[in-house]
Amino acid sequence: MRLADLLNFAWQVLRGSVSRTLLILLAMGIGVAAVVMVTALGEGARLYVASQFGALGTNLIIVLPGRSETSGAMPGVLIGKTPRSLTLEDALALKRSHAIRRFAPLIIGAGDVRTGARSRETPVLGSTSELMDIRSMELAQGVFLPPGDPRHSQPVCVIGSKVASELFGSRPALGEWVRIGDRRFRVIGILAPQGQSLGFNTNEIVIVPLAAAQALFNTESLFRILIEAKSREQIVAAQADVEEIVRLRHEGERDITVITQDAVLATFDRILRALTLTVASIAAISLAVAGILIMNVMLIAVTQRRREIGLLKALGATGAQIRLAFFTEAMLLALGGAAAGLVVGELGRSIAVQLFPAIPFQAPWWALVAAPATAMLTAVLFTLAPARRAARLDPVQALSRR
Amino acid sequence: MIRLTGIARTFLVGGEEVHALRTVDLEIAHGEYLSIMGPSGSGKSTLLNIIGLLDRPDAGSYELDRKNVTALSDDELARVRREKIGFVFQFFHLVPRLTAVQNIELPMILAGIDPAERKPRLARLLAEYGLEERAGHRPDQLSGGQCQRVAIARAMSMGPTVILADEPTGNLDRHTGQEVLSVLERVHQNGGTLVIVTHDPEIGARATRRLRMLDGAVVGDDSG
Repeated sequence: MRLADLLNFAWQVLRGSVSRTLLILLAMGIGVAAVVMVTALGEGARLYVASQFGALGTNLIIVLPGRSETSGAMPGVLIGKTPRSLTLEDALALKRSHAIRRFAPLIIGAGDVRTGARSRETPVLGSTSELMDIRSMELAQGVFLPPGDPRHSQPVCVIGSKVASELFGSRPALGEWVRIGDRRFRVIGILAPQGQSLGFNTNEIVIVPLAAAQALFNTESLFRILIEAKSREQIVAAQADVEEIVRLRHEGERDITVITQDAVLATFDRILRALTLTVASIAAISLAVAGILIMNVMLIAVTQRRREIGLLKALGATGAQIRLAFFTEAMLLALGGAAAGLVVGELGRSIAVQLFPAIPFQAPWWALVAAPATAMLTAVLFTLAPARRAARLDPVQALSRR
Repeated sequence: MIRLTGIARTFLVGGEEVHALRTVDLEIAHGEYLSIMGPSGSGKSTLLNIIGLLDRPDAGSYELDRKNVTALSDDELARVRREKIGFVFQFFHLVPRLTAVQNIELPMILAGIDPAERKPRLARLLAEYGLEERAGHRPDQLSGGQCQRVAIARAMSMGPTVILADEPTGNLDRHTGQEVLSVLERVHQNGGTLVIVTHDPEIGARATRRLRMLDGAVVGDDSG
């Protein structure tokens, strides 16, 4: 039997029972579309997280005071943990490392920011001019903190876009004075609206020079040191340098935690990939259900078409030809269903993109291959039994019944 | 040429053995016109199915065109059936979703014949059986006589050695039956072998050789 004839024969069968064909196409289509859409959602979330981390700044290393580990050794011997605070001197010592491009010490507190009669409680960040580059911040107006010795400070501040609009309304904020606690700062810059980034809404913060924040919150200890390595390859070296420099300064104790952006990103990446795979395989179950539907329909077809199968045998069809006819029919159904599913899945994806433009929904290539392939495979697998039954049908019996 | 030697076929019906055929010996020469008659249950349809390679005998041997076909595999039997045997059934057995011409084409499709070669053969068959105007019609749009003519054209499409007809007029009125029979008899007139199973003595009498069966045995073989 020629391929064209085989396809034509199967096509005639499918065209002969439209509602049956449409139902199977629907089931197959839903399965494939579900896999495509679910993986697009998962992959979109993964890419979104990755891009958010990228927005934090590239090649980022974060140093935290204290070390997360279990302390206390033998029973009866009390070894207390005394987390040494991380100081500006520690940060300045990092200049010795060749793997580090720049760093920014960071102090965070909550401050009451006032101008005239208006007042607003906001997070106040104390840092240096390097912060802007490390965290890829953008300014809407003015300039960022001036460079210089972080031990001394000028009474200036950079405010978030929301802080500016809340305190000054439509009046220009640049050059105005604000009062934070008992100190006065001149507004020299306004941040461009950037939204959330690692815990802070940059629209709602005020950034002051480090020394000013130290005085304001009456503290010497840093909240974080943000470090940018010279390149991606240098991240590991920079991390080792940081640990070594601070250990020497802290009398040999490893009492800091160093987080690299890569490690965090890799963890998120793994989690989201696993999640995508999981939900995709749940969606794939619907493909198996569609396969069972195909088997069911094919079994019914074998019964309904007994006479026809008997006739084909009488006309000289071999068992292989009968099996092939059934497989072709199933493959056509799977192909059609997969195509419909891909179209519907793509449609759903573009709707999701319209609704959430920030998230890059995109089904990964493996899902676009795996979903139709699974549809095809289940179709063939579930047609094995019906096709075998058809091929084994006794022609005399099949033809004798009316 | 067909030679059956000691052919027996037993069925199990409800745990009981039914001897559909008991040691049948039969030789049918090329170009013969044979009718098989007998009451229902006499084994005439079983005999026809065995001749048509649809059924296998439990004992005995079958030679078709000097070749022993008793021990052939299912696939080999299908091939022999396709090339040498044409079936005509009482209930026509046309595929309802296919048009007349597509039904006639089926054996050639199964044989994998090139579409370019199928076309002229189909045109010739349609003309020969007067179906040109009904070629694009489905079986439910055809009369009984037309359906049976489509079935005969289908049986002839591969140029078989023998045409086997099981009650070909059983589902037709008298007039149409006569008409279909004369179409079938053209096979014999053109030199082909024609075997008709019937319980209608009038139809059976038209054959040049008349076989009578009873209880799975040939009880009468009358030629001339």
